[in-house]
Amino acid sequence: MSKTIVTLVGKDHVGIIAAVCNFFADNNINILDIKQTTVGDYINMMMIVDTDKYEKTFAELTEGLGTVGEKVGCLIQAQHEDIFNMMHRI
Amino acid sequence: MVDFEEVFETNSMIKDESLDVRTITMGISLMDCCDPDLDRLCEKIYRKITEKAKNLVSVGDEIGLEYGIPITNKRVSVTPISVVGACACRAPEDFVRIAEALDKAAEHVGINFIGGYSALVQKGMTDADRLLIRSIPEALSSTERVCGSVSVGSTRTGINMDAVRIMGDIIRETAELTKDKDSIGCAKLVVFCNPPDDNPFMAGAFHGVTEPETVINVGVSGPGVVKTSVSKVKGESFEVLCETIKKTAFKVTRAGQLVAKEASARLGVPFGIVDLSLAPTPEIGDSIADIIEEMGIERTGAPGTTAALAILNDQVKKGGVMASSYVGGLSGAFIPVSEDSSMVRAAECGALCIEKLEAMTCVCSVGLDMVAIPGDTSAETIAGIIADEMAIGMVNQKTTACRLIPVIGKKPGDHAEFGGLLGSAPIMPVSRFGCGGFVNRGGRIPAPIHSFKN
Repeated sequence: MSKTIVTLVGKDHVGIIAAVCNFFADNNINILDIKQTTVGDYINMMMIVDTDKYEKTFAELTEGLGTVGEKVGCLIQAQHEDIFNMMHRI
Repeated sequence: MVDFEEVFETNSMIKDESLDVRTITMGISLMDCCDPDLDRLCEKIYRKITEKAKNLVSVGDEIGLEYGIPITNKRVSVTPISVVGACACRAPEDFVRIAEALDKAAEHVGINFIGGYSALVQKGMTDADRLLIRSIPEALSSTERVCGSVSVGSTRTGINMDAVRIMGDIIRETAELTKDKDSIGCAKLVVFCNPPDDNPFMAGAFHGVTEPETVINVGVSGPGVVKTSVSKVKGESFEVLCETIKKTAFKVTRAGQLVAKEASARLGVPFGIVDLSLAPTPEIGDSIADIIEEMGIERTGAPGTTAALAILNDQVKKGGVMASSYVGGLSGAFIPVSEDSSMVRAAECGALCIEKLEAMTCVCSVGLDMVAIPGDTSAETIAGIIADEMAIGMVNQKTTACRLIPVIGKKPGDHAEFGGLLGSAPIMPVSRFGCGGFVNRGGRIPAPIHSFKN
């Protein structure tokens, strides 16, 4: 399974998570885990998603999430999970 | 499963503390390009580099995007050109032709520096070595991307003082030829003792003759990350300080190891080494001097600086060694003055002088690096500074280097601007007392007694 970590930060309002989830549903990406916190007016969210059935390139995924981010006024980033596994586990 | 805190920590290292992978450097052997016909030799060199490294930049960018970590530089190092050009070059101008071919190839593959315009003369010079060294001022001033290095000493062989003396002249000539740009040609020229064959960092990178056909070496960085972690243990004991640096270095190096393995797999080129280095950039917060000052030194250069740097260097290695399967290159903290904004500040306020920098090079990699000196410094004095630095490397069985820039037309109190990652530097005063009677003796300094280990 190819796991990607998606992080989002920005000013909280209705529909942010919905927009991101819709993007994933439209692109055959399965959500494995979601965590989010809000501090004051700001939302900080992390998702672990399975991109095995996503048929486009990683660059296209980043671009697609960038477009969603622009629409909802948040910064969204996707990264392969290996960077976190490597840095934090022996 | 990946933890929220871990994701947050990694991403704040990247965004707020300038964590990056400093360089993916592809080493390419040019041994099979040797040809007695200079035109054919240059053509073969150009073709081999542009073929082998054609995907280097795109693969580097792709990996950077997927893991969300910037890969600042993609570069190429080649077999020392004095070896490759030996059968075709009969004059220094012939070697300059090779430099031009290297420059063109580097431009074609989209990299900003290519290393290996080099000669290894620690014991003696071949005719080709002599010609290449003579060609350096012209080669480095007429090209943009070519970096050169000359190894003039080693623990096993001693120091070739003839070469040291010549390099005094070569550095001055290179400075003169590039005086309209603050003598920037010298920023692309390194004089070495004990150079490693697998160094991924410019300007001293070359692909040693014991290396494979092609290889991927990666240089990590992250002074900002180390500084932040040190700031969290203010006032704690040395035990706590050392453990903190070690753990941070582990994480930083693991990122480099991941990138190295990925680059190797995607390019179909064997993985060589990860260079466990802390390399600063002129950017605020990406500074080695900041770490030293965070440890409790008021200004870098004050008493305690050498000890603080020794701790930093050792802990970076201890943390990094476990994080990577193969470690090599220069591995240690770099102290290039112009490339480190807080080092510049320390030099400007009088805390840091060239003699203290020399002491610091005893405990870190690599040497007197990107040090701007007065434009009227004599070739003999430059040779004397090089000899001192080479002696430190030879006796301590470590790599040392000199990247000195006599900035023509400038004196102490003035500033030199090199631009980009090379930064800017104050002109540091050098001793007004001469050393001509010493450096002009000629010959070789014998290898030290502890080099005889067989």
